[in-house]
Amino acid sequence: MEETPEAPAVDEARQAIIDKLTTELGDAVVGSHIQPGHDVWVRVTREAWRTAGLVARDQLGYRYFEYLSAIDWLPSPFGLSENSPTDALPEASTEIVTGHGGGDTRFQVIARVHSLSQKMGIHLKVDLPDDDLSITSWLPVFAGVNWHEREVHEMFGITFAGHPYLRNLYLPGEFEGHPLRKDFPLLARLVKPWPGIVDVEPMPASGDDAEAEAAEATETEEAAG
Amino acid sequence: MTALTERQQLAYANAQAADGRVNLEFETDEGMTLNMGPQHPATHGTLRIVLKLDGEQVISCEPIMGYMHRGYEKLVEVRTYPQVTTLVNRIDWLGSFANEVPFILAAEKLMDIEAPPRAQWIRTILFELSRISNISLFVGDMALHIGAISAAFYAFRDREYVLNQIEAATGGRFHPNFDRIGGLKDDLPKGWIADTKATMNKIRDFCDEMETLVEGNEIFQTRTRGIGVIPADVALAYGMSGANLRASGVDWDLRRDEPVGLAWNECDWNVITHPDGDSFARFWVRLQEIRESTRIVDQLLDGLPAGPIMAKVPRIIKVPEGEAWVATENPLGEMGYYVVSKGGLGPFRVKIRTASFNNIAVIPWVTRGVYVPDVVTILASLYFILGDIDR
Amino acid sequence: MGLVESGKLPKPLTSLLNTSRKYSLWIFQWGLACCAIEMGAALGAPRYDVMRLGVIPLPASPRQADLVCISGTVTDKMVPAIRRLYDQMPDPKYVISMGSCANCGGPYWDSYSVTKGIDQVIPVDVYVPGCPPRPEALLEGIVLLQERIGKEDMAARWKGDPIVVS
Ligand code: SF4
Repeated sequence: MEETPEAPAVDEARQAIIDKLTTELGDAVVGSHIQPGHDVWVRVTREAWRTAGLVARDQLGYRYFEYLSAIDWLPSPFGLSENSPTDALPEASTEIVTGHGGGDTRFQVIARVHSLSQKMGIHLKVDLPDDDLSITSWLPVFAGVNWHEREVHEMFGITFAGHPYLRNLYLPGEFEGHPLRKDFPLLARLVKPWPGIVDVEPMPASGDDAEAEAAEATETEEAAG
Repeated sequence: MTALTERQQLAYANAQAADGRVNLEFETDEGMTLNMGPQHPATHGTLRIVLKLDGEQVISCEPIMGYMHRGYEKLVEVRTYPQVTTLVNRIDWLGSFANEVPFILAAEKLMDIEAPPRAQWIRTILFELSRISNISLFVGDMALHIGAISAAFYAFRDREYVLNQIEAATGGRFHPNFDRIGGLKDDLPKGWIADTKATMNKIRDFCDEMETLVEGNEIFQTRTRGIGVIPADVALAYGMSGANLRASGVDWDLRRDEPVGLAWNECDWNVITHPDGDSFARFWVRLQEIRESTRIVDQLLDGLPAGPIMAKVPRIIKVPEGEAWVATENPLGEMGYYVVSKGGLGPFRVKIRTASFNNIAVIPWVTRGVYVPDVVTILASLYFILGDIDR
Repeated sequence: MGLVESGKLPKPLTSLLNTSRKYSLWIFQWGLACCAIEMGAALGAPRYDVMRLGVIPLPASPRQADLVCISGTVTDKMVPAIRRLYDQMPDPKYVISMGSCANCGGPYWDSYSVTKGIDQVIPVDVYVPGCPPRPEALLEGIVLLQERIGKEDMAARWKGDPIVVS
C-alpha cells in the first residue's frame, strides 16, 4: 500500500518530533506512540496543552491545523444497541482502556497538526480529569480552532478556558445532553430493535449445508414448475 | 515552509485576533442585521448567514450551521464496519464515492490488509469521476450565483454523462456504496472503459466551453477578481484545504504528497496552484482540476492491471484494536477519518474531519468589510456542501 | 366565486378548473440534502425538463407556490422554518415529500437530531421513496399528484366558512 512496503521499525523522523517536544516541554510529555511510517501520538499534561501547540507551530513548523476533537473512553453501556428493547441491557464493563499514547481518564482531547514541508502530522492528546472538564483554548495558536472547540463543547461538555463564545454550533438551543458521550442513549434504538440485525448473523454455511440448501431450492422450483 | 514576509506575518496575526473578537462584536447593536437563509439560493443548502451591516458594508458576519446536522459521529458508533460506508456516502453528497475511500482505507490499515492493485486502480478512477461530477456542478453553480444562468444548465447536462458512467459501474447515480473492506463489490462492466473515455472527451469540451462562457466573461472577471482574498498563512491557520488552499498559492495536494495507496502516482498529472487567493483563483483552480482529473482517468484506464478485485477477508469483519488516521484529497478538500477500534464489529469512535467545516470557518474573517453582493461571490467560490460542514 | 364555498359547483366547471390547476403548478423547491441535487436535476436540468408537465419550478417565494417539494434530511432545527414557510403558502397547497429522509428519517432513523418524517409537521400528498429517488421518480410523483388534483372535488375540499372580505 505504501511506497515503501517495509516501513522501518524505527521511525527516526517521528522519533525526532517526540525528542524535540520532550526537550521543549520537559516532564509535560507523559506518553507517546509511533506507528512507523504512518503517524505519531504525543500525550501532554493539561497545563502544557497550549504550550505544546505553540511549540509545534513555531519551533517544529507544524503550521497547518487539521482538527480538534475529543474521545470518551467509557465503554458504551449500549453496545451496538442491536438487542430488542425488552431485553435487559448487556452487562457493559466500565473499565476504561485508552489507546495510543496511554491515558488515565475518561475524556481525552485530541488534536492533529500538520507540516506541509515535512509531510507529517502529529496527534496531540491530553487527559482531562472527570471532575474538571476544562482546558485552555487553542484560539491564540490556531485561528481555525474556534468552531472545533465549540463543537467539542457541545458534543462532550468540555469547556475551553479563554474561548469567548462557546455557544451551541449544531443543535437547537433547548437540546439537553452531550450526544457524543458514550452514556448518551439513542432513543430510537432503545424503543425499536435494529432492523439490520441480520447483517451480523452468520451467513449460510458452506459445504454440506449449502448443498442441502441448493438441493432444497431445486426441489421447490421443480414442484412449482 | 519558506520564511514569511512581514505582510504575511501581519495577516497571520490579524487572522487570529479577528477571530477571537468577531462573535463578541456581533453582540453589540451597532448597524443593521441582515439574515440570509437558512433556505437561500446562495447558500448551497441550509446554511444561515447573519450579517451586520453598515450601509452596504459588512461589519461582521456569523454563519449559523446545524440545519443539516445528522449526528454522524454518534451514528457510526452503533453500526458495523460494512454498514458505515452506506452512511458516510452521504456526507459530501456530490462526491459520494470519495467519502467511502478514506474510511475503508483506515479500516484496512487497522486490519492490515491491502486491496489488490486492480481494485486500487478502479477506486482511483471512480474517485476522480466523483471529483469531476462534484466540481462540474460547482462551475455551473458559481456562475449562477454571479448571475449567469445558462452555465448551470450546461453543468447539469454534462454532469449527467459522468453520473451515467458511475451508475454503470456501481449501480448508483449518487450513492454508490461500492467500496468493500479489502476491495470492491464488482468488477467493471463490459465496454465501460471505452464509454468512459468518450465521456472524458465530453468533459474536456465542457471545460473549454466554460472557459469561454464564464471565465472569459468580463462581468465574471470584475465580480471575482480581487474579491475575498485569503493569504496563504491565514488559510493554513484556519486549516483550509483542497482547491481553496491551492488558490492561495500553497502547493499542497494529498494525492501527490501523501499517497495512501491509491494509484495517483502511477500517472502523470499536475497540481494546479494560483498565487492570487481571490474568488477568481478558486474558480480557475477548480476548473483546471477537472481537466487534470480527466487526464488521470484516461491514463489509469489505459494501464488498468488485471487480477482480482477483492482481497481475502473474513466473512464477519472484526477490526483489531488500534487507532488510525487516513486522509485523502476529496473534491472539497482534505477529508480524514480518525478511527478508534476496540476490536469489535463496529468502530469505537470515529472523528470525521471534513473539508468544508474548516474551509468555511474563514468566512467571518474574509467577509469583514466587503460589500453585500460580494458575500455571495465569496460563499460561492469557497464552495462548501452543507452535509460536509454539519455532518 | 361563492360557488365553491356553497358546495354547488357544477361538474364540468370542476373538471375545467381542476385541469387548469393541475397544469400550472408552481413548485417551490425546498432542497435540503442529497435529494436536493436530484430535485435540481429533475427540475432544472435539460435532460428531464419538468416544464413539459406544466410545472413551473421558479416561484420567488412560497407565497406564489402551489406545491412544495421537501427533498432531503429534515432536522429538528429546520422544522420550525419548514412549518413557517408552509403556512405562508396560499391554499390550495400540496406537498411532495422526496426521499426516505423526508418520508421517515431514512438512513438516519436512529439519529438524535433528525426528524423522522416530515408528515409529523405538515400534511403530505405524495411520498417519493428512494435514497435518493431518481429524477424520473420525482416526475412520476408529480404526475401522480396531477392525477389526484384532476379528480379532486373542489367543492368538498373548500366547503367551509365563507370568505369574508372586510
Ligand atoms: S433520502 Fe438519501 S439521498 Fe435523500 S437526503 Fe436522505 S440520505 Fe440523502
